[in-house]
Amino acid sequence: MAGFKELPEHQLRSQSDGQLIAYLRSARQAGRLDAMKPAVGLLVFGYWDSLLNRARLKLSYADAEDVAAEAAASAIASAFDGRSVGEFRSWLHTILARRIADYYEARKRRVKSTTLPSEHEGDEEVWGRDPAAPFEGEALPALECLARAYDELEDDRHRQVIDRYVYGPQSAGEVAEVVDGMSEANVHQIGSRFQSRVRELLGEGAE
Amino acid sequence: MSDVERLLAEYKRVHQGGGDADPRPFLDQLSGLDREQLAGLIDTYLSRAPRREVELAAFEDSPAVSVAESVQRSLAGSAGLWPALLPRLRTEARIRRADLVAELAARLGAQRRQDKVAAYYHQMEQGLLPAPGVSDTVLDALGKIVGYSREALRSAGEMPAPSRATPEGGAVFARTTGAAPDEQAAQAHSPGAAGEDWDEIDRLFRGG
Repeated sequence: MAGFKELPEHQLRSQSDGQLIAYLRSARQAGRLDAMKPAVGLLVFGYWDSLLNRARLKLSYADAEDVAAEAAASAIASAFDGRSVGEFRSWLHTILARRIADYYEARKRRVKSTTLPSEHEGDEEVWGRDPAAPFEGEALPALECLARAYDELEDDRHRQVIDRYVYGPQSAGEVAEVVDGMSEANVHQIGSRFQSRVRELLGEGAE
Repeated sequence: MSDVERLLAEYKRVHQGGGDADPRPFLDQLSGLDREQLAGLIDTYLSRAPRREVELAAFEDSPAVSVAESVQRSLAGSAGLWPALLPRLRTEARIRRADLVAELAARLGAQRRQDKVAAYYHQMEQGLLPAPGVSDTVLDALGKIVGYSREALRSAGEMPAPSRATPEGGAVFARTTGAAPDEQAAQAHSPGAAGEDWDEIDRLFRGG
């Protein structure tokens, strides 16, 4: 069928998430289902470690793998179907957060009643599950404190430092090279000050 | 540098190195608020991490292979997310496929047509059976076996929009080596084939 050109893996690897999703749609429209395989693989394998390890912060190992798998399948399917919102990576992590929330919600219901949890009717892609093993999730209160400390930063350059140095892969030296007027020592200082503020907020919450 | 900052930096190094970046051993080095803070930082870091550049061949033995296979079947098939969901529910319910099929047939009052039920169930897991055709009766029965609601099964089967194409053989990932015996039996009996008489089982699985 015209309009679809199969790409080798090395070319697909350089495509953005949105381009890979578009490629998948185009392959299916052309009936080239075999050609979808590498693009699906790049999306799933490319995000698998992030999804799995985020889930491990909040769930038992066994449940983390299941929830990460559900999130990957659900997010890719809804993006493919045009039901996702915004950038694919954000969408993927939004779905993961929903799946984890579903997990805890189902567990709460299970404690209240021995009946099986009813599912979310009419939601766009909800197919929650019944949890198996208890594990106290971590990071939930901390996320609020991190967001608040970040919002308190008034200087956009300071936010860039947090984005690149604290949350990103760059070293202090690399950040100093790309953020205006910032020395390596400044980057360390801003990062440490941010961490201290988060710790302070966490402490206030614990009191 | 605080312990939280040091452990976050170490975690990022491991993650960027491509290894198994399990956060738990890092968290286990801290307690209380420090631990919470590190968990939050790692969580945010991972949620912003870009897609990894991967070689597909390097994932042959990864648990993510089965995820990719099921996504592939979902996108290529006619049954929404059932290829991803149904095998997982079966595993969670700790029930073998043959036993699930036997119970499903019993619940549908079709013990004598278990082979046909098996074939249809196989098609559901493979994404080959159009989800809209599967009746509420089947989904109710299946849901009771695996602990899932009919509505949730229906919803999962509805997305993404059904494909008009039939999945081609071979469009699966490396670790799929062959069908289990009960799958082979299911494949051998392909319901809905041309010339076959339409019966109650067909109506339940294909009549909506």
